[in-house]
Amino acid sequence: MPDVQSMVAEFVNKLRKRKIEGSQATAKCTVELLRSVISHQRVPHANQAAALIDAVKAVGQQLVAANPVELAVGNVVRRVLHIIREEDLSLTTAAMAGLDLLDASDDDDIDNCKGIGYPAMSAAVVAAAARSTLRPPSLQTLLEGTPESATVPYTSSSGADSESKTADKSSLTRKLKHDVIEGVNQLIQEISGCHEQIAEQAIEHIHQNEVILTLGSSRTVLEFLCAAKEKKRSFRVFVAEGAPRYQGHLLAKELVARGLQTTVITDSAVFAMISRVNMVIIGAHAVMANGGVIGPVGVNMAALAAKKHAVPFVVLAGSHKLCPLYPHNPEVLLNELRSPSELLDFGEFSDCLDFGAGSGSLQVVNPTFDYVPPNLVSLFITDTGGHNPSYMYRLIADYYSADDLVM
Amino acid sequence: MWRSSASFILDKHLNNKPISITHSIDSPPPPSASMADENPNPNPNPISAYYETRAAHHGIVTSEWLEQAQAAVRRYPDHDDSVSPVSGRPFSVIEEFNSWRQQPDLAEAVAAIRALAAVIRSSEATTMMELEIELKKASDTLKAWDTTSISLTAGCDLFMRYVTRTSALEFEDFNSAKSRVLGRAEKFGEISCKARRIIAILSQDFIFDGCTILVHGFSRVVFEILKTSAQNKKLFRVLCTEGRPDKTGVLLAKELAKLDIPVKLLIDSAVAYSMDEVDMVFVGADGVVESGGIINMMGTYQIALVAHSMNKPVYVAAESYKFARLYPLDQKDLEPALRPIDFNVPVPPKVEVERSARDYTPPQYLTLLFTDLGVLTPSVVSDELIQLYL
Repeated sequence: MPDVQSMVAEFVNKLRKRKIEGSQATAKCTVELLRSVISHQRVPHANQAAALIDAVKAVGQQLVAANPVELAVGNVVRRVLHIIREEDLSLTTAAMAGLDLLDASDDDDIDNCKGIGYPAMSAAVVAAAARSTLRPPSLQTLLEGTPESATVPYTSSSGADSESKTADKSSLTRKLKHDVIEGVNQLIQEISGCHEQIAEQAIEHIHQNEVILTLGSSRTVLEFLCAAKEKKRSFRVFVAEGAPRYQGHLLAKELVARGLQTTVITDSAVFAMISRVNMVIIGAHAVMANGGVIGPVGVNMAALAAKKHAVPFVVLAGSHKLCPLYPHNPEVLLNELRSPSELLDFGEFSDCLDFGAGSGSLQVVNPTFDYVPPNLVSLFITDTGGHNPSYMYRLIADYYSADDLVM
Repeated sequence: MWRSSASFILDKHLNNKPISITHSIDSPPPPSASMADENPNPNPNPISAYYETRAAHHGIVTSEWLEQAQAAVRRYPDHDDSVSPVSGRPFSVIEEFNSWRQQPDLAEAVAAIRALAAVIRSSEATTMMELEIELKKASDTLKAWDTTSISLTAGCDLFMRYVTRTSALEFEDFNSAKSRVLGRAEKFGEISCKARRIIAILSQDFIFDGCTILVHGFSRVVFEILKTSAQNKKLFRVLCTEGRPDKTGVLLAKELAKLDIPVKLLIDSAVAYSMDEVDMVFVGADGVVESGGIINMMGTYQIALVAHSMNKPVYVAAESYKFARLYPLDQKDLEPALRPIDFNVPVPPKVEVERSARDYTPPQYLTLLFTDLGVLTPSVVSDELIQLYL
């Protein structure tokens, strides 16, 4: 356990100091850390899922607090929690099915089970009730109220004591952790493989002799464009340089190295060039639940220009970037202000920047991210395929549980 | 141009029928004689009882009046006598419903479900099937009595779905199934209050310090949201529209002023004029339709259009039991719900008056819906409805 504590502390430190760049790397490190937390966590016999969930939540809260702007951290923590709940549920239903078979064969056991004060409901109903705790609240469950029996299966099975059942219990203990770790490994693979999955779809969207515009530098976009190139599509790319970090320059260099005809333009020239562009493709930092996009600064401008000229605006995002929260003030709360030295040279401007010097001081604002509202986005391409912005809520319902939204 | 189809001829015929405008608030609901027989709609184009009741709620009333009204309603013995129906038959579900509906704080769907619960209580069925048939009949009667109220229809449908799914297969005997259904129906009133609180909590993040909120109509859910924000010491101000002909704005302004929230009253036509100083629009809903649009008091569509053209978010606060299986394609696609409108001057006889009480706002003008199922985008509504009904 102390080993895990130190790992967590070290990771929190790295996050706070923004040492890890990129949401994919952050997501992978977070998941690997959570995997160690889960495997080192000692779980009690009863209610082990709750113990795992509490442990992961505790670590998750620390991580999110260290870097609240990096939404991928919160996303993968919630994915892991969802995995735990799902595995727990499938084990419960399997256990109930097992118990049911044993009960049916033995009449005395049926009376015993009922004698404990277990409500006279069939196993199917209990499983359905447990399943409803996993689903978000819906119209169907509105009148049903809170099912009290979600944790009853474990206690009732511990009450009805036949040898075979207790043997089942201890194997159940090991099984939950094992299943969860398998699920987490799958998640890691998914995160690592998201670029390939997205790039596979490139050929459907990029056609011959097209002009693509992109902004800044995103590894997903790079792989996407190169995949299309490999399938023998010939097209041109305009790269907006993405001041003040000028990462567009790096992307342009990479694209030329792979044989694509590239043009570098300034951010201010986007509106001028947009009428000659067939499609805008950008990578997102995060995608919010309403379909809004958090991207590198400048994408809102590109999105508005694209809307004005009816150019499709395509956003590429791996599933670890999908955030279940609704943005209520994204320009401020989900943004990070970087050092002004990226914009201005401190030496030259030292007299203006000095606040104590008297009247009038120069303020420099250097935001990292931009928020694009959902009505400006034409298509999201994730590793599961292409989706409408208004479809995001379905993906979120698949990947996350409602109980984990507030950590 | 405003005659989009030849239906105006039909409308003219209906409008020619003189409809009495006198609706004294103290009068009890329509006498039981007309309810006992099978013609619940003697007038082909009735004044919408739903909007009448809302108007009664919104009238500037004193607490003594409220007590008087409730005492008048309590004349109906069904209300107190919960065990056995008075004088054998007829037990009128409509009277029961009306008695619940008069309470200003109770949501429409809750009144419907309580009325149906009373049907279950007084029913003498011995099997689940029989009970379901009785309930279906009662629910159809209720729905036919007031075809304009969407929450009523939605509440009845929801309850019927729930009863159908809580089948006796899960329970050993009929009586425990019946008591469980009854228990849930009775709890529904709490669910509705809880729903309002959940909605208020969900929307707190969206109200920031220093914001200006435009409100239309007196929705109890929106009022709860504003009340909770004020309790959380948020600083904001509210612009409320007058809301003719109900004058809901005046009542809302009074209530908000009591909570020390800065309020400004606007006439309905001043909405576009004030829209640029508004940060967000909050409205309630009488019903949420399958497309994700809402049906609300007349004027909501106008406000949503103006807000959309000026890039202001429009937030809708609605409980989930207001989701209805309707898909209006345009404004006239709804059941006509008419209200008497008083212009303070006599209207010349040849002049028509548009008396519709509500309009339909399409989903593309709405930003988010706050419901007790969570914060939803308009496209989620049809998903929820499909899950329930299919």
